[in-house]
This record gives sequence, structure tokens and C-alpha cells, in this order.
Amino acid sequence: MFHWLEKRPFFFAVGVFIAIAFAGLVEIVPNFYKASQPVVGTTPYSTLELAGRHVYIKNSCNACHSQLIRPFKAETDRYGHYSLSGEYAYDRPFLWGSKRTGPDLMRVGNYRTTDWHENHMKDPAGVVPGSIMPKYTWMYTNLADIDTAYAEQITIKNVFAVPYNKPIPMKDGSTSVVKLADTLDGAHASALEEAKLVTADMKDQAIKDMVEAGNIPEIVAIIAYMNSLK
Amino acid sequence: MENRPLEYDYSVAKMFMLSTVVLGIVGMLVGVILAWQLAFPGANLFLGEALGEYTNFSRLRPLHTDAVIFGFTLSGVFATWYYVGQRVLKVSMAESKLLMFLGKLHFWLYLVGVAAVVVSLVLGITTSKEYAEFEWPIDIAIVIVWVIWGLSIFGLIGIRRERSLYISIWYYIATFLGIAMLYLFNNMEVPTYFASGGIGAWYHSVSMYAGTNDALVQWWYGHNAVAFGFTVPIVAMIYYFLPKESGQAVYSYKLSLLSFWGLMFVYLWAGGHHLLFSTVPDWMQTMGSVFSIVLILPSWGSAINMLLTMKGEWQQVASSPLIKFMVLASTFYMFSTLEGPIQAIKSVNALAHFTDWIVGHVHDGVLGWVGFMIMAALFHMAPRVFKREIYSKSMMNSQFWIQTLGVILYFTSMWIAGITQGMMWRAHDEFGNLAYSFIDTVSVLHPYFTIRAVGGTLYLVGFLMFAWNMYKTMTAGRRVEESELQNATPMAA
Amino acid sequence: MDIATFQAYGYFFLTAFMVLVLYGYIWHLYTAKKKYGKDYEEYADIALHDDITDKPVEKISDEEKK
Repeated sequence: MFHWLEKRPFFFAVGVFIAIAFAGLVEIVPNFYKASQPVVGTTPYSTLELAGRHVYIKNSCNACHSQLIRPFKAETDRYGHYSLSGEYAYDRPFLWGSKRTGPDLMRVGNYRTTDWHENHMKDPAGVVPGSIMPKYTWMYTNLADIDTAYAEQITIKNVFAVPYNKPIPMKDGSTSVVKLADTLDGAHASALEEAKLVTADMKDQAIKDMVEAGNIPEIVAIIAYMNSLK
Repeated sequence: MENRPLEYDYSVAKMFMLSTVVLGIVGMLVGVILAWQLAFPGANLFLGEALGEYTNFSRLRPLHTDAVIFGFTLSGVFATWYYVGQRVLKVSMAESKLLMFLGKLHFWLYLVGVAAVVVSLVLGITTSKEYAEFEWPIDIAIVIVWVIWGLSIFGLIGIRRERSLYISIWYYIATFLGIAMLYLFNNMEVPTYFASGGIGAWYHSVSMYAGTNDALVQWWYGHNAVAFGFTVPIVAMIYYFLPKESGQAVYSYKLSLLSFWGLMFVYLWAGGHHLLFSTVPDWMQTMGSVFSIVLILPSWGSAINMLLTMKGEWQQVASSPLIKFMVLASTFYMFSTLEGPIQAIKSVNALAHFTDWIVGHVHDGVLGWVGFMIMAALFHMAPRVFKREIYSKSMMNSQFWIQTLGVILYFTSMWIAGITQGMMWRAHDEFGNLAYSFIDTVSVLHPYFTIRAVGGTLYLVGFLMFAWNMYKTMTAGRRVEESELQNATPMAA
Repeated sequence: MDIATFQAYGYFFLTAFMVLVLYGYIWHLYTAKKKYGKDYEEYADIALHDDITDKPVEKISDEEKK
């Protein structure tokens, strides 16, 4: 039987495929029946936060920063409660990262402020002496891509039934609703509203002026995203 | 020249040899830049403030990994396939116009794909999933390139003269199938432009999987991209090139078959070791750990088989730089397939994960095993493909020592850096508070980052010597006859 | 039967099956020489005698004539 296989490339290939597909079949496929259930208090991203998440991805922040707190005392002391599977229910793609050249950012919204990020992105070593993080100065001039963020929101709402415009249970027993605009213009308007809440805590007058004029720079979007990481 | 009715046709192999060298230089150069940026952050602006967006560490890092994996390594795999495939099947590509056309199409489409990847990554167009950063239009192009390679493999097998498939062919087939399956599943994504009725960037997509599931699929892919990109096809190479160059038959053909099936069955389970202590189900983490350790067996089966092939012929290691490269490659293979399982043990992983020790592990595998083996394969092929002698043996020797030193500096510094940082992260003072702030654990790494950058630079220097030697061989080497090309590669002093 | 139980059974039986196949293969490899007079080590020659003018270890047309 084996000798027969060795001379027949087609059946041989089938054999190889079974051997390598086997692990995936048993390990991965069954889990997709149990789609990730969000834990109480986990909400989908708003338009501006999602645009900020795109800025995070565009600059491969995940190359140096993880978003996964492991259940060790040293990690919970440093970064907060260890990560739960349900907290990632709306993360497409996941951003756990594989290297901590900089600290974990899973709950950075709990202990860093808008003001801190504003200074830090401009000159990391000026805020944290000895930091080896590069300056991200272009985020202060490039505009955030609200259109694409909105397109992604519509996509995940329609395809994956992400609960926009629906009540979501919060930890204190109340409910909260993440609004998704019906039109692209509406999405821009709500993103701008959110952006103004961020710039209220910022010092850079040029950024404030840009947002007043209806343009949202990348820095505002990424700060909105960072503040949402809790 | 002797009168020969039919010759092997290496025109496609030559093209891929060229892209191996060029993309190798690109990938390693970017790597060296990254290493210096970590040691001296000022280097993030090495082309000035205005281009900072395109030259900073985070933007270049995916370019480095992808240029080395999909540029250098894959080109090397393709180049050797179009060489080894014909020879062990005893059929020439000149015998089929179709296969020749497919081979050339394969090369040119591949180049278009590479160009698209470089441009998109520099612009920051990425899905963020490691080694699968490409957006959907490039994914489609990659699938097409892959299918063409598959046609080319099975086409050549279809017209073969040799009944049985040599062990290397097994490994090439497994590479093809493995990457095809993994790549397809990990890159399932929905293009947002079409799903939203034409809003936003046309190339943007969103992953079909969310959170923990996405992580599971990604590392099932990520780990096995290493398996089927950095292990399986490189084993295919060494099973052909080492016996051929040394004139010694494989120590045990039976052992090679066993290791093959062992590797196929075990490797796919090991992906879970990238997710230890994360939120994926516990049994999968344990499975990843256990299978990673079982994986030592088939890996060492191949490596020992290679070393024993040299039995009784060890003087060749001293006399031939080419054999040196291959013996060191299989030694590094043994070394990193032992190191990997150690890092997959849960308690070790708790310390090593997220640190530079992992980076060190990847690099002793890739620089020591993959890089050395691909360069050795190209050194062996060059005289046969160009019908010229290797230009300089002494240059090969010095390249060998420079690069070996580079690899050693690289992994030793990363070991120390990784373990130091891991220990500092978990250190507590007498009151149970964290002993170090995060920045303390970064500043302490500066000397090791510098040593690593020096090691990487040495390796790049060696690679440039390799490129120069290949170029001179192609243009200025002494012409040789077929009869000089039986086993040991002819080299000029 | 819930999905986890199914997974566990699938894992156990398939692994047992694969292990049997692998050991059967080892058995086959090492007894083939005695049983069928077939020596696997001959295949190593495919790499060593790989010139286009060399004689294949097992020619494809011979078998097809059978």
C-alpha cells in the first residue's frame, strides 16, 4: 500500500493534505461555532475610534506594543486586569502583537490622558527620557480616513451583525448605545463631534483649528482610540 | 562540448536566482536599518524629517519580515525547485513549451506581486496580521502566483522519466500544499468598499474572524508559515544539495521518509505555543506546548540524517567552504529546533514571550539555517547553470567566517537581552511592588541592541560578498565542461 | 453530543489512526527489503545520478508496459 502511494503524486498529495489539515480541522474549525461572545461592558468602536484603530494599524504600532495582559501578578500590577476573550469580540483583526518593545496598551485608556498622548506622540523621549520610540509627527498633519472607517462599520454591521444602534448591557446594569449614522455625511458629523471632545483636552492650537474647520487629523483619531482601550 | 541530445533548461532557475540575491539584499538591509534604529532612535529619521513617515521603525518592520520570507526565501525555494525538480525527475523544461511558459509567467507575476507588496507596506496599507499583511488585491495576486507554481510542479512531475519521487520532491509538494491551505484560511476577509456600496478606500478589508478566533487562525498560519516556508522547502534543498555536493548517498533514505511524515503530522499542532497564557482555550495551549516538544523528533531526524551523510567524509568540511555552509546550516537547524520547543514550555514561555529572546530564536533559524542553506544551494547551482567556475573560493571562506560571527553576535546578544528584560518585568521589591518601570527595562538593553546591530551588519556584509562572488562567477569565471560538474563544485582559489 | 465532546473524540481517534499509519509505515520500510526485495536506500541514487543522460533508477515507461 505504501509503496503504491510513493509513486502516485496525486494520492501522495492527498495524503499530505490530510496529515496537515488534520490539526486545523480538530483544533480550529469547531471553535467557529462558538463565535466570541462579548463580555458585559464591551462595546463596538465608534467611527472616530475605528479610524484611530486604522491609524494604529497603518503605522504598525502592534509591531512593538502588545494588547494582551497575561494572568501573572507582574503583568496585572503593571497593566491592569488580565485580558478576557470576550473583550476582543469586536476586534477585527486582533492586535495582540508578538513583541513588547514598548509597554502593553490593552488598558492604556485607564492611565494615560489625551494631553499625555499629545505630547508623547510628538516627542516620546521628551515625555519618557530614554524612550526609543520614534516621533510620529506626521500624525499631526495627515487626515484620518473617516470614509473607510464608516465603510468598515457598515460592513461589520451587515455581515457580522455587530450591534450598532442597539442597547448593550454595561457593568453597572445600565445600557449604552453606539450610534452608527445612516449616511456618510452623518458619519462625518458624528466623528467631528467626537473629535471636538478630544481636542477640548489638547493644547496644540493648530490641531484645534483644523478640527474647528471640519478636518480631523490622525492624532485626534488615534487618541480617541487609545482612550477607548480600557 | 560533448555531444548531448538534450540539456536541462535553467532559464527560469536563473531568473529566480537573481531575485533571491536582490531581494536578499533588500530584506537584510532593511533589517540592519531596523537594528540600528532600536539601538539609536535618531536613525528613524535617516532620510530626514520629511520622509520620517516612511523610514521609521514601525513602518519598515513588516517590510523586513516580508522581504526576507516572501522575497529572499521564496525566491530561493523557486530557484532551487526549477533546478532540482528537473534533475531528480530527469526531465528538461525544454521538453514542454507549456511548462516553460508557466515558469516564466510565474517569475514575472511574482515580481509584480513583490513590487506591489513593497509599495503598499511603505504606504502603510496593511492588515496588521504578521506575514499576512497584504490587503485583498495582493492576496489574490499571490494566490494566482501560487497556483501557477503548483501547475508547474505537477506538470513537471507529469512528464517525468523517474518513476519514484525523490525525497526533495516530497518536501516541495508539501510546501506548496501547506502554504496554499494556510494562506487561504488566514486571509479570509471582506472588502469594505464592496460590502458598503462604494465608500472609503477600495483596497481596505476587514477580517472574517474576530478577536480570539482571529488570533488562533493567525498563529496557526504564522507558525506554519515558518514550517512550510523556512523548514520544509529548506529540508528539500539540503536533501538534494548535500549528498550531491559531497558525493555521498543520504545516510538513511528510510529515516528521511519517516521524518517527513512525522513533520507533516506534528507541525500543524504546534502553532498554539504562540498563544500561551492568552485567551484561547487552555487545552489548545497545552496541545501547542506538547506537540512543540514532540516536534524535536522529526526535526532532529532530518538534521542527524544530514550530519551522518557526511560520515567518513568529514575532511570535506575542512576543504570545501560549500560543505561548511551546509553542515553549519544543519547544525543551526538542530540548535533552533531544540531552542523552539524549550521556549514552548509554559514556564519558559512566561518569561520569554514578548521579549528579544524570541527574536533571537527566529534569527538563529533564519540566518543560520535558511540563509546559509540558500546561499550554499546557489553556490552549488551557479557553475552548473552558467557553466563557469566559482569565481573565488577564498572569498567564500571569508564570507563564511564573517557571517558565522554575525549570527553568533546576533543570537547571544538577543538571549541576554530577552532574559534580562523578562526577569526585570517580573521583579518585585521587598514590599511586593514592581521593582522597575518599563523604561528601565528598555534602557538596559542598549548595549545588546548595539551588539545585535553589529552582528546583523556583519551578516549583510557577508551577503554582499556572496552577491559579488555570484556576479563575478556569472561574468568572469573560467568556463567549465559538463564532466567537471559531477559532484564537488569547481572553485577558483 | 456537544461540540467539545465531538472535538475530543475526533482528536483521540484520528490521532490513534495516524499513529497506527505511521508505525505501519515504519514497519513497511524496514521489512520491504526482505519481503519484496525492495531496498529503499536505492532511491538515494536519484540525487547522485541526476544527469539527463543518466539511467533512471526506475524508468517510468517500464512500469507502464506491465
